[in-house]
Amino acid sequence: MKEGRTPGLRRPMLSERVQEAVAAYLFLAPFLFSLVVFFAYAFARTLYFSFTQYDLFSAPTWVGLRNYVALLTEPRFLTALQNSITFAVVVTAAQTVFALMLALALNQKLRGITFFRAAYYMPSVASSVVITLIFIWLYQRAGAINYLLTVALVYRRVLVAWVVGTVVLQSALVLYERGRGRPASPLEPSLLVTAMLLAGAASAALWVAGVVTPVEGVQPVAIPWLNTRRRWPGGPVSAPIPLEAIMLLNTWTTAPTFMLLYLAGLQEIPRELYEAASVDGASAWQQFRHITLPQLRHVTFLVVTLGLIGTLQMFDQVAVIGDQAPLESVITLAYYVYSNVFPGGAVPRVGQAAAAAMTLALLTLVVVLIQRKVVER
Amino acid sequence: MRLHRCAGRVSILLLMLLLLVSPAWAGTVVRVSGWAGTDVAIVEELITRFVEPAVKPYGIEVRYEPIAEDFSTYLFNSLSAGTAPDLFYVDIFWAEPLMAAGQLEPLDAYLQRSEALSKEDIIPSLLEAFTYQGKVYGIPKDFNTLAVFYNKDIFDEAGVPYPDESDTWASFTDKLRRVSRPQEGIYGIALAPEFARFGAFAYAAGFRLFDERGRSDLSQPGFVEAFEWYTGLVDEGIGILPADIGQSWGGGAFATERVATAIEGAWILGFLRDQAPNLPYGATLLPRHAGTGQRGNFIYTVSWSINAASRVKEEAFRVLEALTSPEAQQWVLQRGLALPSRQALLDDPYFKQATAEAQANLVVFRGASEGNVQPFKFGRYGGDWMTPVNEALSAVMTGELTPQQALADAQRRLDELTGR
Repeated sequence: MKEGRTPGLRRPMLSERVQEAVAAYLFLAPFLFSLVVFFAYAFARTLYFSFTQYDLFSAPTWVGLRNYVALLTEPRFLTALQNSITFAVVVTAAQTVFALMLALALNQKLRGITFFRAAYYMPSVASSVVITLIFIWLYQRAGAINYLLTVALVYRRVLVAWVVGTVVLQSALVLYERGRGRPASPLEPSLLVTAMLLAGAASAALWVAGVVTPVEGVQPVAIPWLNTRRRWPGGPVSAPIPLEAIMLLNTWTTAPTFMLLYLAGLQEIPRELYEAASVDGASAWQQFRHITLPQLRHVTFLVVTLGLIGTLQMFDQVAVIGDQAPLESVITLAYYVYSNVFPGGAVPRVGQAAAAAMTLALLTLVVVLIQRKVVER
Repeated sequence: MRLHRCAGRVSILLLMLLLLVSPAWAGTVVRVSGWAGTDVAIVEELITRFVEPAVKPYGIEVRYEPIAEDFSTYLFNSLSAGTAPDLFYVDIFWAEPLMAAGQLEPLDAYLQRSEALSKEDIIPSLLEAFTYQGKVYGIPKDFNTLAVFYNKDIFDEAGVPYPDESDTWASFTDKLRRVSRPQEGIYGIALAPEFARFGAFAYAAGFRLFDERGRSDLSQPGFVEAFEWYTGLVDEGIGILPADIGQSWGGGAFATERVATAIEGAWILGFLRDQAPNLPYGATLLPRHAGTGQRGNFIYTVSWSINAASRVKEEAFRVLEALTSPEAQQWVLQRGLALPSRQALLDDPYFKQATAEAQANLVVFRGASEGNVQPFKFGRYGGDWMTPVNEALSAVMTGELTPQQALADAQRRLDELTGR
């Protein structure tokens, strides 16, 4: 633009800047409007309600800090707080690692890789309510997961035979290749596939011949995945099993979105870096450790920040699972807030809910700030 | 030219505004709302058949707005925001907070003036459910109670007599035991780990929800006995949780024909008509507790109530009258949709029909007046009261805790809730 103009026609600098600013704000106006109405105003109202006793109907009465003090002694709130923090830490870590692994795998130059990129992205596109409903079905006591576990138990001897066969064949193939002077790593994929197929055929043959038999009289596995208050693995680092079930489901649905960010990041890394490293004799792991990871640093910051915010505010999956799991095993802060504004059949406790919502907002802010400090260092 | 275009735009805008507000000119609009699902077809037909002919002469137009999800959330929200409909459903389960908060219009004055509807027309226990501090806040549109639904085929195959009214818990358990074949996946009864079903048995054994001090005591002998019996059925392999056979409620389990009995209300009838039309079923009253000689039951009921902030309350009451008129309720009853709340319909020939549905409806109807029957509500605690009890039931029925552990746990949390 500027280059196109002759100096004589150029308007004063300030006016142009003002014009630009006005244009920018005009474009921002719809967003600013919704920000002010739905965030700033709503936030101010929530802050006010958190210092009041309010039931949605009669006028709020000022109670000072009483709601916040009450929260500290409310067992259900403390459970929700603990669940939320556990959930945020575990899921953020898991989905970040999983997203990076997926992105690395899908960054290969292979025929048809776009199909896999689309396929792996599917869980993020589907509605979380639908996915949760499907998982509820999988997690039932007579559901698919317990069924597969039962099948695995029944055929455990065949499975063991197959695993043993694979290990033996793989070792043999690797030794053979090395014996012929070819470099073969112990987990060489092409050899591994061959070994697995051969071992599969062998164990099937053993099964048909009656040498390896399915175990008889196995009781169907009936682990309650959702309807339980049990915790796993126990000790100081345990979480309720239903919450862990939601963690799995949530990681599976959110990782693909972050995978996309990582894919974009990976494709921005200059190839010369890898070429130079190869020339210097760096191994694949060294390249990953010293080129890929540092180059993806800004993406990782984004992924972890978005992940923490998203996981701390997780609500829909708990709401959908509903009565299928005991409340204290799945309740998170966001659900605690909701269940206090709309407690089935009881008077709404908006003040208490608002105080919990402010706590959640503060917690999110603190966590993100800490994370930023850590990354900047 | 430019001015002309501008004037044209303004007039189009004005026209659009007119169109938006025009229904208000056509007459007084009464907004009616309830939850969606099967109710939509029923209410729509009720409105076209009975309400519109009755209120048209008064220049009243009815606009029906069913709410697909979370009706109570919608209602609480819109009442708070001042955008709620004029006439709407109120479930007994969450009626008390609304009545206490003055959100519902007291109907006593309207009822006194009305020629079509009076307090005496309605079954007293139902009207009582919507009475708060001496004032009536809703006219029950219908009600439900629990009954034992049994699959005749399963009992016939096992050569066991059907459950009947003379059963006690012991004889009922015995019949269930004789039809159960857990190794073949056939169970005596589908038992949800919920107070909404179990509570009926606790009431039969003499359980009182609150004592004089407002405390709930789960160590009452009746409660403990009912708890051990109910959870024991699952422990013994006679009963199964609906979730364990992939169903979310007892009716769903019953429709799979893998359970011989289920404890449900008349709401199961429409479901069976759709999902298991060939299932031969019967219904009977819940078994008696041998000690007290009584049955227990819940009353589930829903009213039509008027928004206290409505600007068309008189008109809304006219619509309410038409919705609960004898003709409208008779139509609902004869279609086998719900049980009427008008006393006069108790002798209706419908109940004397030989169909399974009519007989089941009669059983559900009688459930309201036999033994220790309590409305499905928990004072100001609402569903929060049930949560600890439901979790105790579920923990014992999935084999995680013993009844003693679970009940001690639930008692501690109830005491936290009630502050006693």
